[in-house]
Amino acid sequence: MHQYVFVVIGVLMAIAAVRLVTTKNVVHGALYLLMVLAGAAAIFILLLAEFVGWVQVLLYIGAVVVLLLFGLMLTRAPIGRTALDNQSRALAALVAGAIFAMTSMVLVRAFDGQMIDFSQTLTVRTLGGVLFTKYVLPFEVVSVLLLAALVGAVVLAKRDE
Amino acid sequence: MTLVQGAREFVAPGVDLVALAPELILVAVISGVLLIDLMLPQDKKGLMMPVSALGLLAALGATLFLVGDVRITLSGMFVVDSFAVLFKVIFLLAALLTLALSHDYLKDDEIHHGEYYFLLLCSLLGMMTIASSRDLVAIFVSLELISLPSFVLVGLRKRDLKSNEAALKFFLFGVLSTAIMLFGMSLVYGVTGQTSLVGIASSLTQFPPLREVAILSILFILVGFGFKISAFPFQWWVPDTYEGAPVPIAAFLSVASKTAGFVGLLQILFIGFLGLADIWRPFLAAVAVLTMTFGNLVAIQQKHIIRLLAYSSIGQAGYILIPLAVVGVGTPELNAIAFQASIVYLLIYAFMETGAFACAIAYGRRGGGYFVSDYAGLSARSPGLAIAMTMFLFSLAGIPPLAGWAAKFFVFRALIDGGAYWLAAIMAINTVIALFYYAAVPRQMVFAAPTETRRIEIPWMLSSAIALSAIVVVLIGILPDIFGALARAAAGG
Repeated sequence: MHQYVFVVIGVLMAIAAVRLVTTKNVVHGALYLLMVLAGAAAIFILLLAEFVGWVQVLLYIGAVVVLLLFGLMLTRAPIGRTALDNQSRALAALVAGAIFAMTSMVLVRAFDGQMIDFSQTLTVRTLGGVLFTKYVLPFEVVSVLLLAALVGAVVLAKRDE
Repeated sequence: MTLVQGAREFVAPGVDLVALAPELILVAVISGVLLIDLMLPQDKKGLMMPVSALGLLAALGATLFLVGDVRITLSGMFVVDSFAVLFKVIFLLAALLTLALSHDYLKDDEIHHGEYYFLLLCSLLGMMTIASSRDLVAIFVSLELISLPSFVLVGLRKRDLKSNEAALKFFLFGVLSTAIMLFGMSLVYGVTGQTSLVGIASSLTQFPPLREVAILSILFILVGFGFKISAFPFQWWVPDTYEGAPVPIAAFLSVASKTAGFVGLLQILFIGFLGLADIWRPFLAAVAVLTMTFGNLVAIQQKHIIRLLAYSSIGQAGYILIPLAVVGVGTPELNAIAFQASIVYLLIYAFMETGAFACAIAYGRRGGGYFVSDYAGLSARSPGLAIAMTMFLFSLAGIPPLAGWAAKFFVFRALIDGGAYWLAAIMAINTVIALFYYAAVPRQMVFAAPTETRRIEIPWMLSSAIALSAIVVVLIGILPDIFGALARAAAGG
């Protein structure tokens, strides 16, 4: 059952991802991005990592994509059919294809046939406990990182008098 | 009910506050800078520099207090040993020197002082934590904390199109290489089930992974660090970013930020992946050779002093990287020599590169210019500045008895001991090529006729930064074993 759902989600994500880079319309691109991110959230939930899945929904779909759309609307960025293409798209496709082939070959050889153990499911409680004990250093560093990002964004966006 | 139960189960981790003191002081200074900036009137913003400098001195004191200690805290993720302390001191000194370079530079530019120093200190905090991080997650997050404020700092000259372009290029290269590196790290976690470097090392020896997986994850992780240390082929952003950024920030990127990248890379390779040395050695050799050759060949054609320094710093990254090409699985003594060679080179590089940037700022801001041709006749106008600049450039070129010579000596010795004669030969050829462009600036200063005769006044803070770097460059040139002993201590830790 899991496998079939995964295949459906994976195919949908792949189609959306391809359309995301080939579409000529920025807004359509943002919506395809939304589909890819929703698919990722669905896979997390499929793997019983519900918390991460819902965080993915809240942050990426709820914040990032919406912010992207607002950014497109509020600035005078070209929304319609514009030339988003790059001269070196063929080369980019070649490089991306090669990396994809290489990575997937290695991943299949390395992890083929291995099963995920679902008997120990990750609860939010254990996640929180680990975050504030074992991983407290990265957690605190990230908090400074977010502060720096906030200040940086304000200082770049602010209009100088 | 469940919440209360959860609270009872929660055991607070033991925290060694002394080990964390430098970082905690830095966090306090960062918050302080942000708050004080709010309260200062517009014409007093120059005070932000001394405030930040005092904070850095306090953090430096706390770091020096830890010399000789070995402390492990935060469940083994944060380690204070000779290696960490040595590099924390270097990062703090580099930041102090950057502050000295910034003070005069910011005066007549429309950059916001408070945010500038705030972002600089945030980036520094990332460097401090990466020196102590012994865990993939912590290293990754620290790297991000180093990079993200730098993206903004590069673009702070908002009305300058070059600055905008510099920041955008830096950002795009940065996020792409970070994403690839993260994928490599996730692969390592997938194979070993560990994030701590020690855990990864023992898991890799117990259950050797498939060769392909090891190669792929190492390559992906190298991409991220290659971007940070500006190694070929991830160096394309460097010249444009250095040229467009505020010049003190270019100095900060080429010294502190690059050193931090090396610190992370050395820890991952020597603690986590030492067992796979046979796999990563050829890659590092190739990257090192290409990096130094590319940097030196392109530097010859440069007309702009900052671009010249940018390409030279790419070439220097190759020299720092190349000792790692002799590291092997069962050769601890040779590994220690290679490790020391890289560290000594990093230490010396920090001072000679900062000195060269300081001279370029001093001349560029005070009536000179940033083109090599602008340096015509400087030896007649300002002999002191001309001598200092010549010294730093000759040191970068590796001319004895300056420190850069000692740095190259350590690297050559590691290569010869490891039997890598080909690499030593390539490096020797590179050193000769580099002499062409390093000597081009002194040639202008001495043999070209000056277009102006006015003396150049250098503010005391800049001249003391130049003087400090010059003293180190001369002293270490004569007594290289001072840094050699520091590196030996770091390798023992």
